[in-house]
Amino acid sequence: MPTIESNPAVASLATGSEPMGHAADALPDFTCPVYKDAYSRINAIVIEGEQEAHDNYMALGTLLPDQADELARLARMELKHMKGFTACANNLGVVADMPFAQEFFSPLRNNFQTALGEGKVVTCLLIQALLIEAFAISAYHIYIPVADPFARKITEGVVKDEYTHLNYGQEWLKANLEASRAELEQANRDNLPLVRRMLDGVAGDAAVLHMEKEDLIEDFLIAYQEALTEIGFSSREIAKMAAAALMG
Amino acid sequence: MFGLIGHSTSFADARLLAKRLGYDEYAEGDLDMWCSAPPQLLERVRVTSPTGTTIEGAYIDSCFVPEMLSRFKTARRKVLNAMELAQKNDIQITALGGFTSIIFENFNLLKEQQIRSTTLDWQRFTTGNTHTAWVICRQVEQNAPRLGIDLAKARVAVVGATGDIGSAVCRWLKERTGIAELLLVARQAQPLIELQSELGCGRILSLEEALPQADVVVWVASLPQTLSIDTASLQRPCLMIDGGYPKNLDSKAAAEGVHVIKGGIVEFGSDIGWQMMAVADMAKPQRQMFACFAEAMLLEFEGIHSNFSWGRNNINLAKMDLIGAASLRHGFQALGLETELQPATNLAVA
Repeated sequence: MPTIESNPAVASLATGSEPMGHAADALPDFTCPVYKDAYSRINAIVIEGEQEAHDNYMALGTLLPDQADELARLARMELKHMKGFTACANNLGVVADMPFAQEFFSPLRNNFQTALGEGKVVTCLLIQALLIEAFAISAYHIYIPVADPFARKITEGVVKDEYTHLNYGQEWLKANLEASRAELEQANRDNLPLVRRMLDGVAGDAAVLHMEKEDLIEDFLIAYQEALTEIGFSSREIAKMAAAALMG
Repeated sequence: MFGLIGHSTSFADARLLAKRLGYDEYAEGDLDMWCSAPPQLLERVRVTSPTGTTIEGAYIDSCFVPEMLSRFKTARRKVLNAMELAQKNDIQITALGGFTSIIFENFNLLKEQQIRSTTLDWQRFTTGNTHTAWVICRQVEQNAPRLGIDLAKARVAVVGATGDIGSAVCRWLKERTGIAELLLVARQAQPLIELQSELGCGRILSLEEALPQADVVVWVASLPQTLSIDTASLQRPCLMIDGGYPKNLDSKAAAEGVHVIKGGIVEFGSDIGWQMMAVADMAKPQRQMFACFAEAMLLEFEGIHSNFSWGRNNINLAKMDLIGAASLRHGFQALGLETELQPATNLAVA
């Protein structure tokens, strides 16, 4: 396509007058108190998220007894991740703010527990294997380029595992799409706004870690959309379903 | 499969397109929402060449709009995410349309090859600039004589001469078209001097100096909103090929005897069942498209799965010959002057 040599907006960007973005030019100061304070909450969210994922996969095993072994295997991986992230906090000399994280996850946890009590496998899978996994994958992707070297290595290992978990939920729902469609759409309506609120709630602390909300939302939606595409929804259906995360 | 990565020409147009395609939530969203919106694969099409070959393709909207140009990180993310989506859909050759290739080039996104779990394979992408340059040259060669401009005696100004397309146009005009004189216009002096040295011809002028002397003006730089053209000082007749993006020259150079053609646009021989070009302000959206998009189709028709147009100033005449021949073979025509200006057509009607 044509050049834009004389387009002032792009010309100014091309000459580097706009910041190149945190990832490109500078890592945060991992030792400063402001960073550590924000990290205490973000790290706690990650630890709590992995703990909840463990518990949720174990609980799903009670609804899907023929898959209990596989779900227990996934659950064990989450515990391993949790230990890795706990080590990240120790490495920076930070104490994770667990009460904050437990409160942070409570709306999603409550919805999961309600669905579990009602034996709603589809809703449980949407909450854990799609929403929470996509949330984790996007956060880890955005975090990796701005992480301290120790955490970076651990997070790179974790993100590979999380894709297999997303894949688990995706495959199950794909195989059962027609029976699950209505419940999936309802569960999406009920829970996606919670994810958006969680993203909004963590945006300030994430920015201190050089993770930007706009990046987090788009990355989350890419992972979530990919999963929904794989399950068998059309582009328009997905756009409708995903809108709740965009609207804020 | 071929792919096209495009975007709307403005945020207002993007919302209209979303509404038309049934993406109501996007149509109602504000610019911040669009900044976080992931790319969308909007359409799949099948196209059959006059040779009988049928290819399949997909159109991806990056959800970028020009209003995001001042947001470096957003623009970069839009382009890279759209490219990742193309690759994940296993599209062999994808054209980077509109601002996409410009952002890629100007922000040096070559160093951003890893997108999440995907390593972008540059061989799967083309800027489409070789075909665009060839089409623009053809538009000069076909339409100047219709206006009574004898190219052998004509001065041709290329505005944006040092860019990827501009420099290719200069090479072709010098070697293949046999024009009287080439007038070279660009913002930066040093690349102009280097281009002049490479060509072994051409006069370096400012825009104000070049315009009154030129019988033909090829614009391959976008025009700043504030630019005004003194149409009274232009040659008569004057042929202008508007190869910039967005195409807004017709409003700036409207005058008797000044003829503006949308540059780098081609028309396919039959309707393509797509909705995408309607928002690109094409007169015949079912057939007309940017030449850069057509390049992806041509490469797919020809089974050339490589980044045919890539980087800066790599377009040579051999590549232009190859893509030009393919363009003719598969039924594409460069957009020309309106029919009322074509004596042959008028005679036929009479």
